[in-house]
Amino acid sequence: MIDRDPSPVPPVAEEDPGRALVVELADVSRVHVEGTQFVVALKEVSLKVSAGELIAVMGPSGSGKSTLLNIAGGLDRATSGGVMVEGELLNVLLPSRLAALRRRRVGYVFQDLNLIPSLTAVENVMLPRELDGVRTAKARQEALAVLGEIGVADLAERFPDELSGGQRQRVAIARALVGERRLILADEPTGALDTATGDDILRLLRARADAGAAVILVTHEPRYAGWADRVVFLRDGQIVDSATAGLASAR
Amino acid sequence: MNTEYAYSVFMSIRHGLLALLSQGSRHGYQLRAEFEASTGATWPLNIGQVYTTLARMERDGLVAPGEQDEQGRIVYSITPDGATEVGRWFATPITQTERPRDELAIKLAMAVTTQDVDVAGVVQAQRTATMRTLQELTRSKRGLDSPLDTAQTLILDSKIFQAEAELRWLDHCEAVLSRRSLQHPQEKQ
Repeated sequence: MIDRDPSPVPPVAEEDPGRALVVELADVSRVHVEGTQFVVALKEVSLKVSAGELIAVMGPSGSGKSTLLNIAGGLDRATSGGVMVEGELLNVLLPSRLAALRRRRVGYVFQDLNLIPSLTAVENVMLPRELDGVRTAKARQEALAVLGEIGVADLAERFPDELSGGQRQRVAIARALVGERRLILADEPTGALDTATGDDILRLLRARADAGAAVILVTHEPRYAGWADRVVFLRDGQIVDSATAGLASAR
Repeated sequence: MNTEYAYSVFMSIRHGLLALLSQGSRHGYQLRAEFEASTGATWPLNIGQVYTTLARMERDGLVAPGEQDEQGRIVYSITPDGATEVGRWFATPITQTERPRDELAIKLAMAVTTQDVDVAGVVQAQRTATMRTLQELTRSKRGLDSPLDTAQTLILDSKIFQAEAELRWLDHCEAVLSRRSLQHPQEKQ
């Protein structure tokens, strides 16, 4: 079902050898069955992302961007190929182990899904830690620390509908970061934000990468992809090219 | 460099210097330093350009030379006509025809109509190059955080938006080309 065209070898995105590998996709394909048809969402995609890297994934609708992100974070399973997150091969994990890994190691930021309206900002951020069995007092302490780090400590007791779009997205990012998760997956996190607010969100994700997280950002906005160390272009489920910023420059 | 572009650069320098003089009298070296500071050294000027421009503006009655300072440098002041000209410049939008011709658009148009050119390849190569430019611009912008850098930030933002527009246009080209090749498979892509 997957045709193996021997000709153009998709360029494998370069990696920084000095840093710990956080996520690795090796020849990952994802095929959906729709009625009698096979739909190839991803086709033999290989990608390595190390701690400290911010990678942007670009491509038109239906090119496989979100599928790639969901597979990297264990929300979806590859049809073939291997997916490693911090040394664990996701393909062979039991559903319960996979769920635990998702909660503890991976932070998600989406355009919408977002905050629970009946919980305050700090309660929203505490939630994943409480689900992890962390005591309320400690979860609260951790949540406040992260909110402080991203500059919205003063919003802790507000409810989502009392926050602006940019503030809500910051709180959602805090929730994705709490508990020292090293893999941050962001799917169009700048959604409907104006460009200055969107830049603030990217500044935040960039800072987390610089502090040692691996960040994968899906975006259709070149402006935000510009913040990445590497930009991967997807077409019809394949990586067709990648642009790496200033390979020689020291960070 | 085409004449149209050279003319628009010339006019930008002329008006830029005039705008600085509207803040008070200055000599050539001061003008050069301040011009570069406010544009983030995006358009480096040599001192010869500054004095040539001042001489032409003096001829046109927009500036007037004053006394020499202790180091023998002539201090220039703006004239009432010069002040009117600055006001007119700020009040008049720049039209598209005053900007340089778009070499990339011409290249793409030629690629589409020339036999045996891999148009998709041209688009892809350009996209990667422009994305690298955008990454570099963003990196420069990250280095500027102080409010004093507002002018430089806005200059970088202008280039960022231009790069972004080019990338969007390239995506559009690719979408149009691939639709064409689906509809008219005999036509070359």
